[in-house]
This record gives sequence, C-alpha cells and structure tokens, in this order.
Amino acid sequence: MTVAAARITLRLRLPAATSAAVGLIAVMAAVGALFPTVGHTIGTLDVPKSVSNLLGGGDYGTITGWFRSEIAAIYGPLVIGALAITGASATTAGEEEDRILGLVLAHPIRRARLVGAKAAAIAVVVLTIAIATWIGLIVGVALGGGGITIAHMTALAVQLAFFGFATGALAIALGAGTGRRTLATGAAATVGILGWLINSFAPLVGAIEWLKYVSPFYYYAGHDPLTRGVDIPGVIVLGVASVVLTALGMIGIERRDLRA
Amino acid sequence: MSAAPVIATSGLSKDYGSGRGLFGLDLEVWQGEVFGFLGPNGAGKSTTMRLLLDLIKPTSGSARVLGLDTLRESIEIRGRVGFLPGDLALYPKLTGRAMLDYLAQLRGGVDPRVRDALVERFGADIDRPVRQLSTGNRQKLGLVQAFMHEPELLILDEPIAGLDPLVQQSFHALLAEVSAQGRTVFLSSHTLSEVERVTHRLAILRQGRLVVVDSLENLRQVAVQRLEIEFSGPVDPEEFRALPGVTEAHAEGRTVTVGFEGSADAVVKAAATHDVRAIRPREDGLEDIFLHYYRPDGAP
Repeated sequence: MTVAAARITLRLRLPAATSAAVGLIAVMAAVGALFPTVGHTIGTLDVPKSVSNLLGGGDYGTITGWFRSEIAAIYGPLVIGALAITGASATTAGEEEDRILGLVLAHPIRRARLVGAKAAAIAVVVLTIAIATWIGLIVGVALGGGGITIAHMTALAVQLAFFGFATGALAIALGAGTGRRTLATGAAATVGILGWLINSFAPLVGAIEWLKYVSPFYYYAGHDPLTRGVDIPGVIVLGVASVVLTALGMIGIERRDLRA
Repeated sequence: MSAAPVIATSGLSKDYGSGRGLFGLDLEVWQGEVFGFLGPNGAGKSTTMRLLLDLIKPTSGSARVLGLDTLRESIEIRGRVGFLPGDLALYPKLTGRAMLDYLAQLRGGVDPRVRDALVERFGADIDRPVRQLSTGNRQKLGLVQAFMHEPELLILDEPIAGLDPLVQQSFHALLAEVSAQGRTVFLSSHTLSEVERVTHRLAILRQGRLVVVDSLENLRQVAVQRLEIEFSGPVDPEEFRALPGVTEAHAEGRTVTVGFEGSADAVVKAAATHDVRAIRPREDGLEDIFLHYYRPDGAP
C-alpha cells in the first residue's frame, strides 16, 4: 500500500522534476561554456566580501570558483530546494486542502505510513535533481576546459542531495503537521533563504558567527565540497535533520484532525 | 438483524465552537439497513461520517463501527467500509482508471470483475483525465471506488450529487441489492426525494443535534396533513385559519387547501357548512416532514 502511495506521488511529481533536471543540465553546460570567455575577466573584479560570501566565496577566475558561485551557491540549492519544498507541501498539505487526502485516508492505510511514502517519493525527486546537477557539472566543467575532479563534483551533488532532503523534510513536517500548504511552503522557503543569508553574513560578524551553525547552508556548502570533497559531519547533520523532521510530520498528522 | 449494530454511537460530539459541530449523538444502525441521515448544510452529517472513519477525533463520546472502536481499530474499519465523501476530489491529472487502480492498491487489491461491472453499470468514463470529467462523471468514479471492494458498510455523503436521473435509478437499484445481501448503507442527503425512495429508516439532524430517528411511515404520521376541499362556490380561507390545529389555508378558485396537525374533525365540520363537491387528501412529501423538524421550534 505504501509502495502504491509512493509510486503515485512520484508519478505526479516527476514530470516537473524531469523538466527542471533537463533545464539544470542545459544551464550548467552554458555556464561551463561561458567560463573560457568571461571567467578570467570577472575574476579580476574587486567584489566586497559580503557579496562574495553570498556567491559562495568568489574566486571567479578559477573553474572551481566559477561553478561554486554560479551553481553551488545559488542555482543548485534554489532548484533543489524549490522542488523539494513545493513537492513536499503539495503532496501533504496541498492534497489535504484539495480534499484528496480525506478520500485516501478513508482507506486502510496509516497516516504516518502515507506521509513516509510521500517523503520517500520526494527524496527520489531530490535525487533526480542531484544526479542532474552531477551530470550538468561534468558537462559544464568539460566545456569550461576541466579543472574539477569527478570526486569533487560528486561531493557537491551528494551535499546538495542532503540539503534537498532536509528542506523537503522541513516542508513535510510543516505540511503534514499543520495541513496548511501556504504555511508549509512559506515557512520552509523562509528557513532556506534565511539560512543562505545567515551562512553568508554571520561569519563576517564575530558576535553572531555562531549563527551559521543553525543554517542548513552551512552543512551543505560551508565545507566547500567542490574543493574539499564530501563533508561527512555536514551530511550526517542534514541526514539526521531529514529523518527527525519527517518523523515529526508523521507524528503530527496522526494526532490531529484532517482539515478537509 | 445481527445482535450488534453496525454503527453505534454514544454521546458522540465534535465541538467546533460557536455552536457548530455535533453534540451528543446516540445512534444505532443495523445490518442490512439503508439508513438516511438528513439535515441541512452544517447540521453535522459530514462531521458524523468523518468521525466514524477517524478522519477527525471526537471531542467527547465514542463510536463503534462493525463492532470495532473508531479510534483504536480504525484501520480495520476502513478496510471493511466503502466511503464516498460529499466533496469528492480526485487527482486531476490521473485518468479514472489510474485513480481506481491506486485506490484499489490501497485496499490490497479488488476483484477487477466487480470493478468493471460497476464501471459499466454507472457508465463511468475511466479513460480520460479526471480534470476533463464533469461533476457527474467524477461522482460516478466516486461511487465505483466506494462499492468496488464489496464493503460490509457503505458510508455515502450526498451520493447522487450531480448524477443524471438514469444513473440515479441505477444507484437506487444497487442500494436495494446491497441491502438484500445483508450489507448496510448509511447515506446522508439534503436531497429529500433520494432518502424518501431508498431508506428504511432515517434520522434528522438540526444544528448538530439529533432531532428524530424513525421509519418514514411513522414520521409521516406526525407531519402536517393537508386537505384539498372543492366547493361549489368561492369560500374565504380565513374561516379555516382560526380553527384549532390549522397551520395554513389558502384558496385557488373554488378549492381551498388546508394544512393542519392532529385531528381533521374541525376542518371537515367547517367545510360541511358549505356545499362541498370533493375532499382530496394531499400526500405529504418528506419535504414537509423535514421542514417540520427543522424549524427551530419543531418538536423532536
């Protein structure tokens, strides 16, 4: 029964994920192809530290810095976070508000197991985007003249996948726990954006530097996977957060009334 | 009838605040019954059904369905019950076939012959995406999914909404078959004619409280009766309005229609003071019974 629920969720979410994946690969190929032409010019720009941090630390004159700022800092997490959050909130709170969940849960399936199945489907959507990012990196870096190892590109895709799991799980927790789609989407997106800003600016101010530890971005990219490989502690933190948040959603939906 | 009721509620309540919800429902529905649950919008019909399926939790009281506790044994209950929600919604992008396949899988599979027979019986279109279907065609899918696993109990919230008369007829025939097989139907409606035609007993809810549970025959006896009295000449209906028990009187040409509660004696005697050509009793519909009970001062 849970397999059926996961399969139908995937069937409904994968078309959008596939389109995004194809677009992501195309954009990364274009970004890579642009590097030989504009990378060295942009690399000479004197960018303020705060702006540089927003873009993943700058260093645009190298292929690693170029992809870090163009893809790893913004585009990758934006696409994977958007799909994870919208997919997770739509398949939980969205279906509840659309009154579909009321029919589904009149069948002999536990609410928690249904939410678990939906979370698994969203994880597959996230993996699809992470794999597309990996393919896009390989293509883009090749078109840009090379310079990043496959291992480091894989590390970014892995970190990105766990970032997607965590943001999706946050939306699952909020969507399943409250049944309110706008709240789930808005709050999860706000956490993502605040996390990006905090991770960028907190290290610049000594008194609030510690805030970076509450940002999912820190565990995703704080370790610079394109240069230093997989950050095992970061992956563990994001993985544990994903499991805990999904569990909170499963518990939350069991304890409350369906709203519609 | 079995020894235990198929549905039994005891003081079942769901308080949404501001006087909305369901309050102290005590109800028993027996095996093989087609039980009508009547009331206007907001009376608590859908709330009762959602409580029985554990989609919402009661504020107080309890309910048992098929002998099982609705809170602790809801999974088993839902496996043995077919449910049609009043505001049916399906995945718009899926075809009817894919939707039915999914819901069948959630039940661990159904007999495809039963499903196909229901699809044919209702003329359901299962090959187009749900978003392209009319309300009536979506409702047909809802009926198919509710009946396709041959449940012991059917909980149907406004089942004929949007159905054309032919499909309604088919649905009524199916209810009779289901009842004859010893299965139970608990259906809500504010389409009064639907309940009148198919139910053995009915309950009327008013503002979240049970007003009456009885057979249609018994309910008719307490309802307003009407006589159409044809005179040889015009008669002022005001003569009848002052009589004890008379609730209404109006004239149309030489015919006066008088509505009254209790004995017809005073009405007949007043009519006899004129030249009476004919007296015709008017069969009261369930509409009158319903309105009688739904009036805020309607006696339970």
